[in-house]
Amino acid sequence: MTERAIPWPMMALAVVGFAYMLLPIFVVVLAGLTAGEFLTFPPEGLSLRWVAAFLQSEKYLSAFFFSFRLALMTMVVATILGTAAALFLARSNVVGKAALRAFFLSPVVLPGVVVGFALFAFFIYSGMGLSRTIWGLWIGHILYSTPYVIGTVGAALAAYDDSLEEAARSLGASPWRAFRKVTLPNISQGIQAGSIFAFIVSFGQFEVSLFLSAPNAEPLPIAMYNSLRYQFDPSAAAAGIFAITLVIASVLLTNRLVNIRRLLGRQQGQ
Amino acid sequence: MSFVEFRGVTKTFGRAPAVEQLDVGIAQGEFFSLLGPSGCGKSTTLRMLAGFIAPSTGSIHVQGRDITHLPPEKRDIGIVFQNYAIFPHMNVFDNIAFGLVERGEDAATIRRKVGAALEQVGLSGYDERFERELSGGQKQRVALARVLVIEPHILLLDEPLSALDKKMREEMKFWIKSIQHSIGITTIYVTHDQSEALTMSDRIAVMDRGRVLQIGSPVEIYEQPRSRFIAEFIGESNLLPGRLARADGTTGAVEVAGAQVPARLAQPGLSTGAEVAFLIRPEQIRLEPWSADEAPMLTGKVADETYQGALRRYRIDAAGQHLTVEVPNRPELAQLPPGADVQLYWRPESGLALA
Ligand SMILES: Nc1ncnc2c1ncn2[C@@H]1O[C@H](COP(=O)(O)OP(=O)(O)O)[C@@H](O)[C@H]1O
Ligand SMILES: [Mg+2]
Repeated sequence: MTERAIPWPMMALAVVGFAYMLLPIFVVVLAGLTAGEFLTFPPEGLSLRWVAAFLQSEKYLSAFFFSFRLALMTMVVATILGTAAALFLARSNVVGKAALRAFFLSPVVLPGVVVGFALFAFFIYSGMGLSRTIWGLWIGHILYSTPYVIGTVGAALAAYDDSLEEAARSLGASPWRAFRKVTLPNISQGIQAGSIFAFIVSFGQFEVSLFLSAPNAEPLPIAMYNSLRYQFDPSAAAAGIFAITLVIASVLLTNRLVNIRRLLGRQQGQ
Repeated sequence: MSFVEFRGVTKTFGRAPAVEQLDVGIAQGEFFSLLGPSGCGKSTTLRMLAGFIAPSTGSIHVQGRDITHLPPEKRDIGIVFQNYAIFPHMNVFDNIAFGLVERGEDAATIRRKVGAALEQVGLSGYDERFERELSGGQKQRVALARVLVIEPHILLLDEPLSALDKKMREEMKFWIKSIQHSIGITTIYVTHDQSEALTMSDRIAVMDRGRVLQIGSPVEIYEQPRSRFIAEFIGESNLLPGRLARADGTTGAVEVAGAQVPARLAQPGLSTGAEVAFLIRPEQIRLEPWSADEAPMLTGKVADETYQGALRRYRIDAAGQHLTVEVPNRPELAQLPPGADVQLYWRPESGLALA
């Protein structure tokens, strides 16, 4: 089969678009590898001194691992909640389902500052003792990440044929067994994609974290921001390198997992 | 008491009822078809029996037991879906084993039963295949094996042939019927294809817009349709506007296309002078070149002729009414060119007057 030709104006537009989006990443990576004293671009010679500084910085390392743990915890809850919500939206017949869907997805559409501030104000006025605690921050991240899971699982469910589950039921499976043995394996790619999204979104979250993070437990973006406010230090860019690496690695990893799965399926079939 | 009984079942989605006041009884071992145009409520009826949706009113009984509110997994009813619904993440073996695994059968029994089921549907050696590696006909067989292996006491088939090409459809039609016959399972078959229903069924329920219009054997449905809709939906038909000239009990005479012809009456209550539709099937008509000797039912002119291989199909103009006539393509029968004067004959009992 020959590849279909893409019209060159579109190609050019795509290249420019990608370049525009990816350029900042190169800037950060190169700035983090500078040999100079200050955060500048282009870098003044290349060295690993700021990478080393990051690796020795108690502040950045703890922020990095805190963000990592927070993103994992967020991912777990967002995946469960988002999958449940997507199932509900796909299957229930309640009136006002469109409104409900819009409501579930609203945290992504609303400006992060608004969501962050709203939660902050709510935590304070409700007196639940959640403001500026890890738990409050966790809730904020879950709220912000879950819509991504709803989106990807919703797409998987739209492509899923409900008669598969009905067939399972009629063959003797209870609702739960039919879901677990038939529906779940067939929407698992959507769930995996959604959970990776949730992880990445949580890891890079800034606005909500700005309002909700506790002073002694700062996620990486907040730590970078705080440090850059006072000193224009290339170790922030070095931290950025690690963050970018982590995100790219997680994307590649999922891609790999999903592909391996397909590959196995095909070989079993022969 | 019937094996399966729908008692006053109505199902409403939103405002319009999809199925209305359904009262049907199906005998044990019967091959029963629900026949009707798309959207008339056939699948809804089947899905209520399978337990996927609940009736809005009325009840469903199997062997005298009310199963209206039983969940699908407790019903012991097998269903084959229009798109087969083969589990794509499982191979053929695991698909067929599914119901046995849910019933907690041991591995050896499962292997033996799945093997037998594969053999029954002619797919031995296909255990390891996945759905995407099967043709339409093979998927169909897997879907049927998956259901039959659990030995349900009712088999439901929802337009199982509609996704197949014509040749495969013919083949599967006889195959499904023979399997059904050999195990004697009570079967409810949904189709919008009247020829499938006619060839396979013991009895047919013709549906339209959520209602059952007539229930009967294929012969009854074809030869004594109770309404114009049924007459037109089942097979080819000539329906001519006419007036009842005479009525005595179940027979009478109809004024149609300028002549008076004998007819059976589809409804007993028809009275003289009533506007009726006169039904005569194309294959019941004998066509002869014009001659003065014999008294035909109608006379007319050949409007056009279509060659169809085994048949020649004539369109006849009889006093402004158009009739289709099918004539076997045999050399000894006269060639009738367009414009030729012809005489139409049929047996008196072939004509039917419909209200
Ligand atoms: N889940 C549903 N929600 C709303 N309307 C439905 C649903 N299922 C079927 N219908 C409607 O009920 C009617 C009968 O549908 P169906 O039983 O699928 O017809 P058939 O199988 O005879 O083609 C149709 O008008 C269809 O649109
Ligand atoms: Mg249908």
